[in-house]
Amino acid sequence: MSVLLEVNGINVTFDGFKAINNLSLSISNNELRAIIGPNGAGKTTFMDIVTGKTKPDSGTILWGQKNSSLLRMNEAQIVELGISRKFQKPTLIETQTVFENLLLSLKKSRNPIATLFYKMSPDDEKEITNIAVEVNLIENIGSLAGQLSHGQKQWLEIGMLLAQKPNLLLIDEPAAGMTSPERKKTVKLLKKLSKNQSIVVVEHDMEFVKSLECRVTVLHEGTVIAEGSLDHVSQNEKVIDVYLGR
Amino acid sequence: MKSIFLNYLNSMSSFFWITAIIMIITISIVVFSEAYGLNFVSTSFVKILGKTLCLCIVALAMDLVWGYCGILSLGHFAFFGLGGYMIGMWLMFERTKSIVIESTQNNILPLTHNEINEAIGTQIFGVVGGAEIPMIWIFADTLSIHLLLVLFVPGILAFIFGWLAFRSRVNGVYLSILTQAMTLGLSLYLFQNDSGLRGNNGLSGLQNIPNFDNITQAELSIWFLIASSLTLVVTYFICNLVVKSKLGNVIKGIRDNETRIRFLGYKVESYKLFVFVITAIISGIAGALYYPQAGIINPAELAPIASIYLAVWVAIGGRGSLYGAVIGAAFVSLSSSYFTGGQIPNIDFGIFTLKWVDWWVVILGLSFVITTLYAPKGIGGLVEIMFRKKQL
Repeated sequence: MSVLLEVNGINVTFDGFKAINNLSLSISNNELRAIIGPNGAGKTTFMDIVTGKTKPDSGTILWGQKNSSLLRMNEAQIVELGISRKFQKPTLIETQTVFENLLLSLKKSRNPIATLFYKMSPDDEKEITNIAVEVNLIENIGSLAGQLSHGQKQWLEIGMLLAQKPNLLLIDEPAAGMTSPERKKTVKLLKKLSKNQSIVVVEHDMEFVKSLECRVTVLHEGTVIAEGSLDHVSQNEKVIDVYLGR
Repeated sequence: MKSIFLNYLNSMSSFFWITAIIMIITISIVVFSEAYGLNFVSTSFVKILGKTLCLCIVALAMDLVWGYCGILSLGHFAFFGLGGYMIGMWLMFERTKSIVIESTQNNILPLTHNEINEAIGTQIFGVVGGAEIPMIWIFADTLSIHLLLVLFVPGILAFIFGWLAFRSRVNGVYLSILTQAMTLGLSLYLFQNDSGLRGNNGLSGLQNIPNFDNITQAELSIWFLIASSLTLVVTYFICNLVVKSKLGNVIKGIRDNETRIRFLGYKVESYKLFVFVITAIISGIAGALYYPQAGIINPAELAPIASIYLAVWVAIGGRGSLYGAVIGAAFVSLSSSYFTGGQIPNIDFGIFTLKWVDWWVVILGLSFVITTLYAPKGIGGLVEIMFRKKQL
């Protein structure tokens, strides 16, 4: 499998605190990967770095076949490459409808003039409807995003990722606030999506990670301490010490 | 999807309402005017109305940049003033030129080009102790160039300012302070005698339109009223298109959740810059229509307080709804000229006299506080509530 994203020797310091310490990890094409670790392990910071929100002090991040460096790009350029992100706290345009949120996410020109003269085609409308069906929000398509339940908000944000048709999805704690049937559905959806794109999931819920049945990376104090199947890493001494507990 | 179509109809209906109301007002003023009608309405009142319409235009711009895009600019009156200065330069230069030529008509030898310029220079810049025409007046005899400058000078200033501020991701109150500094700086610069724009004297006599000497002020005031109302309608239409387009969704998204919009791949800076520049140009056009009706412009017009008043109008009228901004600007500025114009008598309480000129500011401040606390959507929000009740 060819490598899609390669993170090498990244260091980040916030006011003297080393948030990321020589972090290296790589994601292959169409891979589903879970990242776990205790609080403050650097999981969210890792996503911040990949999406351009935080600039690392040193290290390299290479993307795709052409090995282009992400470090000198801004957030919008990184999204254009095909990296989309779901935040830990559902981050939506709460004052706009589900439909409008999805419309804004569709993979279309992001140029101000183009958006000013954008006219919705029947295809676009159909695509939005399909996504709404997929994330179970077709009944709520006309309601404001702010009025959705927490679980529904999570779903909408996942729907917004789908609409962008990214190559790599970074998903921060998708299962938080979801009921157990909703979780099962999320697992099913993520597995299905990983056939065509790479997905990185950060999650605390071990049950959820287990049901993803994928390769797991364990972070601790900003560095990778174990990698492999969940069974493999849960037998690792260090992982048990810092995260799982004895 | 049906509801989206209905929303669209609703959104257009506000445009039709505003257009109808403005047209009715304009036509009835023309019918009752001194110049073309029954002579019930004084010229000075026509001018007040015309100026109010220009203030409504700049309020639309403010609503777009603040109410929709969330950028609390406290400097949009700088663009308004610049638009006024740009048209004022042409008005004053051409007017002075025709006076100079007229006064020397009986001379045996016609004046040379240099002599005319010298005479104009003395006329215009005598008050600031000069006779030279500064470089920036080089195109002052060409109307077409100055009409373009009305658009480009505010536009370019907004572009440079916005590019620097938004690129550095200056947000919120810090940006507001910067815009205040911009308008203050510009105003202080214009106060200087060597700014080339007559320092604190400003430009005057703007109500006289060159080469239209035989047309009375009463007639001109009506022309400007019609021009202002047409411009307001066109601006409303354009603003309405912008806020109902997908770009409208993006800028409202920036107002409500900038991070989300950024991580959807939109270059937030470009959108802010786009809105900032467009609204600066709209403000410039409004200023170019306003000052010929006011007759005079001086640097005090660009003082920081003017832009703060603009924000107050939009807040009282209702930010985030275009008609709210129009209503707010019209309502507050008309009440302001009513209360401070000496039309209502002061109230004598014996030990204390209530002078409306002073107390108007207190009333304005109180109504600002009350709207912010109890009707955050302003007058526009109240209209919305009324209409919704009717529909139910």
